[in-house]
Amino acid sequence: MIPERIKAFLLPIGALVALELWARAVHLQSDSLAPPSAIAAALVEAFKDGSILVATRDTLTSAFAGLLVGGAVGLAFGIALGIFHIFDRLMEVTIEAIRPIPSIALLPIALIALGFGYRMEILIVAFACVWPILILSRAAVSAIEPRLIEVSRALRLSPPDRVRKIIIPAALPRIFLAFRLAAGIALIVAVTVEIAINPIGLGAAIMTAQQALRPDLMLAYLLWIGLVGYLLNTGLVIAQRHLFGRAALVGDAA
Amino acid sequence: MNRSALYWRAASFIVAAGFVGLWQVVANLRLVSPVFLPGPDRAWASLVRGFTSGDLLSKLLGTLEHMAYGWFAASVAGIALGAMIGSSRMLRSYVAPSLEFLRPLPVSAIIPVAIAMLGLTQSMAIFVIAFGAIWPMLLATIHGFAAVEPRLYEVARSLHMSRLAVIFKIALPSASPDILSGMRLSLTVALILAVVCEILAGLDGLGHWVLLSARSFRSADLFAGVILLGIIGYLTALAMSVVEKRLLKWRSSGH
Amino acid sequence: MGSSPALRLQPSSCIERPQIAFTDVSLTLGGKTIVENINLDVKPGEFLCIIGASGCGKTTALRLAAALYQPTSGTVTFDGEAMQVPRRDIAIVFQDYGKALLPWRTAAGNVSLALETIGVASSQRASRIEELLKKVGLPGHAGKYPAEMSGGMQQRLQIARCLAQEPKALLMDEPFGALDAMTRQGLQDEVLSLVAASGATVIFVTHDLEEAIYLGDRVIGLLPHPGRIGIELKIDLPRPRDQLTTRENPEFLRLRRELFDFIKASEA
Repeated sequence: MIPERIKAFLLPIGALVALELWARAVHLQSDSLAPPSAIAAALVEAFKDGSILVATRDTLTSAFAGLLVGGAVGLAFGIALGIFHIFDRLMEVTIEAIRPIPSIALLPIALIALGFGYRMEILIVAFACVWPILILSRAAVSAIEPRLIEVSRALRLSPPDRVRKIIIPAALPRIFLAFRLAAGIALIVAVTVEIAINPIGLGAAIMTAQQALRPDLMLAYLLWIGLVGYLLNTGLVIAQRHLFGRAALVGDAA
Repeated sequence: MNRSALYWRAASFIVAAGFVGLWQVVANLRLVSPVFLPGPDRAWASLVRGFTSGDLLSKLLGTLEHMAYGWFAASVAGIALGAMIGSSRMLRSYVAPSLEFLRPLPVSAIIPVAIAMLGLTQSMAIFVIAFGAIWPMLLATIHGFAAVEPRLYEVARSLHMSRLAVIFKIALPSASPDILSGMRLSLTVALILAVVCEILAGLDGLGHWVLLSARSFRSADLFAGVILLGIIGYLTALAMSVVEKRLLKWRSSGH
Repeated sequence: MGSSPALRLQPSSCIERPQIAFTDVSLTLGGKTIVENINLDVKPGEFLCIIGASGCGKTTALRLAAALYQPTSGTVTFDGEAMQVPRRDIAIVFQDYGKALLPWRTAAGNVSLALETIGVASSQRASRIEELLKKVGLPGHAGKYPAEMSGGMQQRLQIARCLAQEPKALLMDEPFGALDAMTRQGLQDEVLSLVAASGATVIFVTHDLEEAIYLGDRVIGLLPHPGRIGIELKIDLPRPRDQLTTRENPEFLRLRRELFDFIKASEA
C-alpha cells in the first residue's frame, strides 16, 4: 500500500523524468518545449540576475493594489446592499447589466485612458475583483444571525458603531473567504493583462521569452507563475484557518 | 413572479435607466473627454451602424465561433476525463493532488506556449480557449462523479446493471448539477480567453475590434464593442440558467 | 444464553431443498469478526425475520444473503448455487429509502429502472409500471419526484421497484425503521399481502420484536459480538394476520415474552 502522500507526487515526478529522458533521446530542438533540466537552469539564471524577482514584484504589486481598490469598493457596496434591502432591490438590474462584462474587455478603454503601466492594470484588476467581493460580502451580511441585529438595536448602537462592532465582525469569516477567492482572480487577471498587452511583470516576461525563442526560460516562467499562484492560495487558506478556524471553511468549494 | 416582485423589478430598471441618463449628462457636459467617454447616444449609434453595415456582426460571430469550438471541445474532453478519473478511487488519488496544484494557475500563461507551438493563428486561439475551459469542467466533473451516493451503486449491483448503464443512468445524472456549474464557469473563461487571443493574434473578433477602436481613438465604436461583449456574457449565463433549470427541476421540487 | 454452540436449524420439512442456505458462514472485516458460523436454511416462500440487539450483525447477515458481502469462510447458496455476485432475482429493500431512489427520476422512472435492466420492452413498461404502483398503493403518483413524496410513499416506491425485478427472494433491511407507527403498520400489512400474492421468499431484518413476530413464519435472534444465532422460534399464528386480533393472541404474547427475555439476556 503506497501511502497517499507519495501517490500525489508520483504522477508529476514521473512525468518530469519521462519528459527529460525523451528530450535527451531525441536531442530536442524546439521553440516550444525544453527538457526539465534546461527549465530548471533557466529558472536559476533568472533568479541570479534578478529579472524574475523584478517581474514578480511588478505583478504582485498590481494584483494587490487592484485587489485593495476593487475590494474596498466591492466591500462598501456589498455591505450597503446587504444592510439596505431597498437599495439592493433597486440596484439589481444595474449590477446584472455591468457584471457580465469580462474585465479584459475594459483593457482597451484603460489603455487609451491611462496608457501602459501599473495604473491601467490596477484598474482592470480592480474591476474584476469588485464583483466576487460585492456579491459574497452582500451574502455574508444578509446571512448574519438576525438575533445579533436585534441585540445591536437593544443596545442602541449608532449606525457606524453597529457596522463596526456587530456587522463586520459577524460577516468577517465569509468576507475573508471572498478576499481569498478575489486574490486568485487578481493574480490571474494581472498576468492576463500583462500577457495581452502590458509590458511589465511576469506575463510580459513570459511573452518576451517566447518571442526570443527561449522555450526553457518561457517554461521556467510558466512554472514560476504556477508556483506563485499555488503559494498565494495556500498561504491564504492557512491564514483563514488560523484566523477563523475550520468552521469558516463551511461552504467553501476551493 | 408575483405583483410586488414585478414592481421592484420595474423600479430597478428605472434606476438603471437613470444611470444611463447620468452617463449621457456627463458626456454632454464633457466632464470627461469624448475621446475616452462617448455618450450612450453615440455608443448606440455605433452599435446600429456596426450591425447595419455588417462589420460588427461578423466580429461578433467571430468571437462566438472561437468560444464555441474551444468550449465544446473542452466540454467533451472535460466530462469524459472527469468521469474516468472521478469514478476511480485509484486514479483520483494519483491525479487529484496534481490537479489541485494546477487549479490556481492563471490559464492565460499557456498562451505563449501555444503561440510557440501554433503561431498567431486561429488554431492557437481555439487550443488556448479549450485548455482554459477544460479546467472548471474537469474539476467539477471529478467532484460530481466522486460524490455519487454509494447506496445507488449497491442498488446498481443488486440489479446487475452493466458498467455502461451505471455510468449513464446513475453516475452521470447524479453528477449533472456539478457538471452544469462547471460548464457555466467554463463559458466565462472561454469568453475571456477568446478576447485575449483575438487581441494578441489579430483574429477576426470583438477583441480585435475593441483594440483597433482604442488605437484609433474611436471611443463610440470601442464602447459599442465592450457593450456587445457584456451582452455575450449575459446571454450565455442566461442560457446556462435556463438549461440548468430544465435539467435540474428535480432538485427544486419537494423539501 | 452465553456460550451456546451454533445451532443448525432445519425447516420442519426436510424434503424440500432450501432456497437460501448459509453454511458455516463467517465474515471478518478489518480484524473484527462480524458474524461467526452462521448456519441457516430458508425454505422457498418462507417469511424469515431476523432480530437482535444493535450491532449483532443482522444487517451484515442480510447483505451476505444479497451477495453484497462475500463471506470470509463458508458459503451462501441460492437454489443450490454459490453466490459470487448479486442476483437479479433477489431484490433488496434498503432502510434509507431516500438514498436508494434516484432523485432525478419520477416514481415511474424509478420503477422503470428495474424494468429496463431486466430487459422489458419499452412498449410494455408503462402498463407494468402502472400495475406495480397500484399494487403498492401509489396509483396516480407516477409523475412525482421522490423529493415530493413522504417517507412512507418513498419506501413503497422502493418496494415497487423491487417487485419490478420479479424477485424470487426479497431481502428487507429494517425497511420501516424510519417511519412513524401508523405508516409502519399499514406497510406491514401491505408487505404481507404482496408477498402472499407473489410467493417470494423473504428475509426481514428488524429491531422491533412485535413486528418480527407479526410478520414472520420464523424468527431468528442473533447474539452480538460476534454475531451468531442464539434463538429460533417457529411462529404458528394463523394467517392472514390482523393488527388487532393477532397481536392480542396469547401465543403472540408468549413469543413476545420469549424474544424479549432473549434480547435482555444478550445485552447483558
